[in-house]
Amino acid sequence: MNKILIKYFLSPIKILLVVFAIGFTLLPIYLALINSFKSNGEIFTNVLSLPSKLNFENYIDAFVRTRYIESLTNTVVLVLISLTGIVLFSSMAGYKLSRTKTKLSKILFTVFVISMLIPFHSMMIGLVKVSNTLNVSGSIYGLGIIYIGLGVPMAIFLYHGFSKNIPKEIEDAARIDGCSEWQLFRKVIFPLQLPITATIIVINGLWIWNDFLLPMLMLTRRENYTIVLSTKMLFGEYTSDWSKILALLILALLPVILVYIFLQKFIVKGISDGAIK
Amino acid sequence: MKFYNNNKILILFVLPAFILYSTFVLYPAIGGFWYSLTDWNGLNPAYEYVGFSNYSRLLEDKAFINSLIFTTKYTMYMVILQNFIAFCLALLVESVNKGKIVLRTIFFFPNMISMVIGGFIWVFIFTQFFPYIGEFLGIQVLTESWISDTSRSFTSILMVSLWGGVGYLMIIYIAALQSIPKELIEAAQLDGANKGQVILHIIRPLIMNAFTIGIFISLSSSFKVFDQVYAVTGGGPGRATQVISMNIFAEAFGFQYKYGYASAKAVVLFVVILIITSIQLYIMKDKEVEA
Repeated sequence: MNKILIKYFLSPIKILLVVFAIGFTLLPIYLALINSFKSNGEIFTNVLSLPSKLNFENYIDAFVRTRYIESLTNTVVLVLISLTGIVLFSSMAGYKLSRTKTKLSKILFTVFVISMLIPFHSMMIGLVKVSNTLNVSGSIYGLGIIYIGLGVPMAIFLYHGFSKNIPKEIEDAARIDGCSEWQLFRKVIFPLQLPITATIIVINGLWIWNDFLLPMLMLTRRENYTIVLSTKMLFGEYTSDWSKILALLILALLPVILVYIFLQKFIVKGISDGAIK
Repeated sequence: MKFYNNNKILILFVLPAFILYSTFVLYPAIGGFWYSLTDWNGLNPAYEYVGFSNYSRLLEDKAFINSLIFTTKYTMYMVILQNFIAFCLALLVESVNKGKIVLRTIFFFPNMISMVIGGFIWVFIFTQFFPYIGEFLGIQVLTESWISDTSRSFTSILMVSLWGGVGYLMIIYIAALQSIPKELIEAAQLDGANKGQVILHIIRPLIMNAFTIGIFISLSSSFKVFDQVYAVTGGGPGRATQVISMNIFAEAFGFQYKYGYASAKAVVLFVVILIITSIQLYIMKDKEVEA
């Protein structure tokens, strides 16, 4: 099918466009990378050149100054807590909501889904107040719980749609065999939901890992910072110390790049499935 | 009691999600609306109900009106450019013989990284790389500031947003292109249709669905844009690039903590997005066609 589309494009223009597009897409990262190995003076003289020697000083400095290991751990823990909660609670809720055909079920579902329309900024002030009152702000664990609450609506929506396709006969058979509802869910339903669980993990994992505003509002102490938040740290003090800043930015990107390279097909599929629903 | 019997298990299964959701989403959202009717400023625990006076103040708040206008302008450019470029990229990727996956991987990459980090990298490009190239090639405009200049800062934000945003839409369009059954195209060609007619009458209606999604996504996300603006211009110079979300943020968490007033702005943002996306979906749903 794609060969047919080829007929509609002239080769030389195509090649030019592809090269330009690749260049534009990758140039920023490439420049950040090569310049992170230079000293500031070197950057100033020639931005484009490859570094004369690999100067790891910047990286070590960034590593230590922003407590990289700490922020990395923080971010990983945060994502783990959030994803576990989101997947567990939403799969239960979405499944039961799609199976129970009562009025309450419809009302609850609407209540959950309606918040997908609300932009974050419209609830962030209230969120700050609530988390301060409940004392969940300021810690990674509290933040994780907040993200569960935030991520549940869309996940429930996806689980709800997906669960419709699970044949009822399987449930009936399991119940006849004496399964309790929870056992039924844990052993039969949840494994069947794995495809959509994968999508949800990808979409939410990406969002929570890269999120900036909420962590900035909630986490005030440096030792709790996530990786993205820690990049902000260098900008306050060093307005033009680019060699250090770039090293930090590359360090911050490293986990994401690694995950992307290995799981890329998986990730892209997750995103496209999620978007279409 | 019938209610209880029918819903017992449902309630149990839904409870954990519902508790967290109502605590951290519902309550803040409704609370936000309530705060917008008060004059609460975060430092002072006592506040008073002031009715809709916050909203009438908004009408005179030049900065807010400007950020509304600016955000709308930004959104219009983004919706058109983002979808157009994403679609072209999708066509490009689909029409290549080999290396589809490589291309797709490359173009989607900027989407994976936080736009704050991406924004910071672009600040480097704007402040160090552009002037360097500009002097080298003699292109004047590159040597001037792209961030602290009022007119160019708009372009720079646009560039960064497009860089980071087209990949996502491209994936959607690729999926749509892949779903066009080739028999239709072949049949049309057998009937003598030329290139243009095939594109216009066969391909376009079948991917309208993807366009609806794409425009919806770019519409709502552009209106809410925050991360890259924060990173690249911080709303400046002055308030030149202060999009709505930054205006609300500055109002609430800047120097004065005017939570009540900022909440009113946040409600307005919500209503605006709701109206615009509803209109958009309504218009476009009509034009879709099932294959």
